[in-house]
Amino acid sequence: MYACGPMSDRTTLTRRGLFRGVSTAAILTGCVNKSNETGTQTPGVDDASAPGEIGPDAASVRFTLNGKPAEAKVEPRTTLLDALRIDLHTTGAKLVCDRGSCGACTVLVDGMQRNACMTLAHDVAGREVTTVEGLASGGELSALQKAFVEHDALQCGFCTSGMLVSCAGLLRRTKGQTLTERDVKAAIAGNICRCGTYPHIVAAVLDAAESKGA
Amino acid sequence: MATNKTPIKVGFAGALTTVKTELPEGEPVPWDADSKLVHVGKKVPRIDGHLKVSGKAKYTYDIHLPGMLWAAVLRCPHPAAKVVSVDVGPALKEPGVKAAIALAKAGDTLKFAGQDVAAVAAERPDQAHAALAAIAVKYKKLGYSVDVVSAAHPKAPVVHEGAVGERRTEGHVGEGGGGTLQGNVRPLPPSVRGDVDKAMAKAKPELTHAAVYTVPVQTHSALETHGLLVRWDGADRMTVWASTQSIFSVRDEMAATFGLDKDKVRVVTEFLGGGFGAKFGASAPGSGLGYIAGELAKQAKAPVKLMCTRADEHVCTGNRPDAIQQVKLAAKGKALLAIDVTSHGTAGVGTGAGVGRNAFGIYTKCPNVRVTSYDVFTNGGPGTAMRAPGHPQGAFAIELALDELAAKMGVDPLELRIDHDEHPLRVKQFERGGETFGWARKRAESAKMRAGNARIRHGYGVAASLWGDFGRASAAVATVSVKPNATIEVKNGVQDIGTGIVTVLAQVAAEVFRRPLSTVTVKYGDSEFGPSVGSGGSQTTSSVTPAIRNAAEQAKTQLTARAAELLGVGSAEEVTWDDEGTAHGGGKSMTFAQVCKKIEGEAIVATASRARTYGTAPMAFPGAPLPQIAGVQFAEVTVDTWTGVVRVPHVLALHDCGRIMNELTVRSQINGGVILGTSYALMEQRVMDNDFGRMLNPNLDCYKILGAEDTPAIDIELFDVYTGANSTGAAGIGEPATIPTAAAIACAVFDAIGAPVRSLPLTPNRVLAALGAYEAKEPPLPDHLRA
Repeated sequence: MYACGPMSDRTTLTRRGLFRGVSTAAILTGCVNKSNETGTQTPGVDDASAPGEIGPDAASVRFTLNGKPAEAKVEPRTTLLDALRIDLHTTGAKLVCDRGSCGACTVLVDGMQRNACMTLAHDVAGREVTTVEGLASGGELSALQKAFVEHDALQCGFCTSGMLVSCAGLLRRTKGQTLTERDVKAAIAGNICRCGTYPHIVAAVLDAAESKGA
Repeated sequence: MATNKTPIKVGFAGALTTVKTELPEGEPVPWDADSKLVHVGKKVPRIDGHLKVSGKAKYTYDIHLPGMLWAAVLRCPHPAAKVVSVDVGPALKEPGVKAAIALAKAGDTLKFAGQDVAAVAAERPDQAHAALAAIAVKYKKLGYSVDVVSAAHPKAPVVHEGAVGERRTEGHVGEGGGGTLQGNVRPLPPSVRGDVDKAMAKAKPELTHAAVYTVPVQTHSALETHGLLVRWDGADRMTVWASTQSIFSVRDEMAATFGLDKDKVRVVTEFLGGGFGAKFGASAPGSGLGYIAGELAKQAKAPVKLMCTRADEHVCTGNRPDAIQQVKLAAKGKALLAIDVTSHGTAGVGTGAGVGRNAFGIYTKCPNVRVTSYDVFTNGGPGTAMRAPGHPQGAFAIELALDELAAKMGVDPLELRIDHDEHPLRVKQFERGGETFGWARKRAESAKMRAGNARIRHGYGVAASLWGDFGRASAAVATVSVKPNATIEVKNGVQDIGTGIVTVLAQVAAEVFRRPLSTVTVKYGDSEFGPSVGSGGSQTTSSVTPAIRNAAEQAKTQLTARAAELLGVGSAEEVTWDDEGTAHGGGKSMTFAQVCKKIEGEAIVATASRARTYGTAPMAFPGAPLPQIAGVQFAEVTVDTWTGVVRVPHVLALHDCGRIMNELTVRSQINGGVILGTSYALMEQRVMDNDFGRMLNPNLDCYKILGAEDTPAIDIELFDVYTGANSTGAAGIGEPATIPTAAAIACAVFDAIGAPVRSLPLTPNRVLAALGAYEAKEPPLPDHLRA
């Protein structure tokens, strides 16, 4: 039963390590070229405004963040999440799993949910990025945000930003439709909560959908 | 103010009695069954909710200071190794790196994969993590074991030479210590009642049951990882932002680590992204985070933020130990005669793998009970307190074993439980839950499905919870101020782990003054705001709210005296406050605002703490003069007998938490307990690779956590209990709510398929094996572990 087999000193392969090892510029230009060739838009890559070649040093990327122009000077390997949090001090989106399995970093890119930890900052050039900070308008919380508070759809609050963005995406996609519990659960299937807020989140979203007459 | 022997109405609806209690000096008459409260107990949305839904809440992870650096830690890749050499020099030449330190030195023995080896601080987190690769370390690999069966073998490599250090936190309540270490095995203090061996010898073999039950290691997996940000404010003073469930334990550890005065360490935790028992102290159970961040900050002369990676979080910040439990039961007629539990579990290199009080403390009419637990040391990251330490493990084994015995006895499992429980409220919860859940009808249906060999079977199970009101005297010191603008400020250095304690504190102050909640502000989450407790043992509400109430009552006494002067009456006794907060006396009236306006100076300020626990209604916790908290959960499962997939469509949770302080947030906590328990039942397990001695799934995609689509419909029935134990009557709920869930689910699976699945998680392969589809993979228990 004793496991004393050979062991390895290799350091673990990480996504960032991979990007660092391979020429990131090659990866990026590769994506852009591919998208041009096929004529279809690769999600997360803007073929119009992405430069042909960037890196390995930091370069500027411009996009719209919560309705306002934003610019960050970041390396090609920098994720959108790091750019938002470290460079733009927009800390609503959280890093939790760092590999697209928990949804805490969910943001909207051109209205679609994206894991900001799995999106490179340079891939949102020219796009519209919405974080939880962009859900309120003019200092007034949205109906969804208010419903989260009223239903106590949050506990520690660390998953809440991602949950709200996923649910806001759902409400935008389904305007005019009647939502069911299943719809909401499916919309947050990629968002993990450790405190156990799911039941109250479902109630809050259904309430918000109803009150908006959606 | 109370006098000696104050009558207090205690108990619960249908079982209220008046007890005469000698209250500690200065203690207000506690809120009891007759108190009519307007704020406390209501469904109050949390007062900081708007910050959490707008992204404005700043967690430790979100704090950014000018010039701040990010740290990363190099961790040992081997389960056991001797350090030959460590050279951090090359890392200093990496981009952005400002400091690097070795955490292990040549000759050190490292005991688990994930232990601290070295650390760096760099301008950006990706730079820090990249620079770790430049650190040169040579190891000499040693023999190891990472599972209980291997480690308990007399010839296994020894994990700890000599005495074992205990790491105990506020999350561990009422247990601890251990006997002499033999190899890697160390007995924990047993719980014994009657004579189990004698009873077993007398029992008829057909009315006995013996089986082995196993549970895996579960990790806390709080979404915000462990971490802290340290800023030196001069040579002898620092400010620390920490993701902690115990601000003052961080302060004490940082002061001790760096030889500072406690008063010169300020710790701030305005928000934290979960803890679940693992976040006590500046360090994680398996990593010296506090020292690392503080030392790097000192060397780099810049604030340093150290947040664990998700992998770090799984391997070195604590876990719920596993357990292999041998359960032996005996009955006579319809009565339980003996319960004998022997458990071997591992908290890795750490201590505390006991299996709680369920088997000993719930079915107390059973005359002979013995529960013996052993810590088995392995080369794994240390376990630590996790939401009701030991209890979900223990509940799973005893409850499923009871159902197996009940089947042999020909007794209904619910009746068996009711017949052997002495806690009056838990008995009521069993009975009431049985009715609400439709127990008898549903169990008849599931029996029919079993007999008819239906593909999709439904099954129903029930299990119980016990916990104590571990509220602490004197630990929390609260300050309440009433200001001339008629606002009330509550101050205490408690952290809000996510339970909504801050809102409850505001409710308590609003209640005392009968003022709108909006006029109360709470200052919290900062060691400057007065001593407080850690959020462990489900004791926060019970420890802090009485301190708040007591301070508020004292402030109100001062305000009343001022009102008496203003109203021109001789003494404060002649002043009465109505429910609008208006003062009346001598035929005159003044509104609260009018009285406040005449406050002399800045404010009326009063400071108070919580008195010792002075009541135990409706029943004492086993072996301690404090109230026992009762709970019962019923679970419904469906089992697909073709695929082995278990789903949990419904859980009914019946709980008490003393006086309910906020019905909205208490429901959230119970949901959380049920969801964590369901996750434990169906999905979660740390998988160790025996060939390399490392965790194979240190992430959130292979370490499965229950998602929204797998979450049952949860019905909650709350029972207000008036404990007469402290001035607010609050107890706790966080831990009791997760104890019985996995057990009830496992019992329901047994009901559905007629065969017990004795290992968690209840995965399809295990269900199919129990159904006889193929041979179970688990080998028989080796002789060296047999009780």
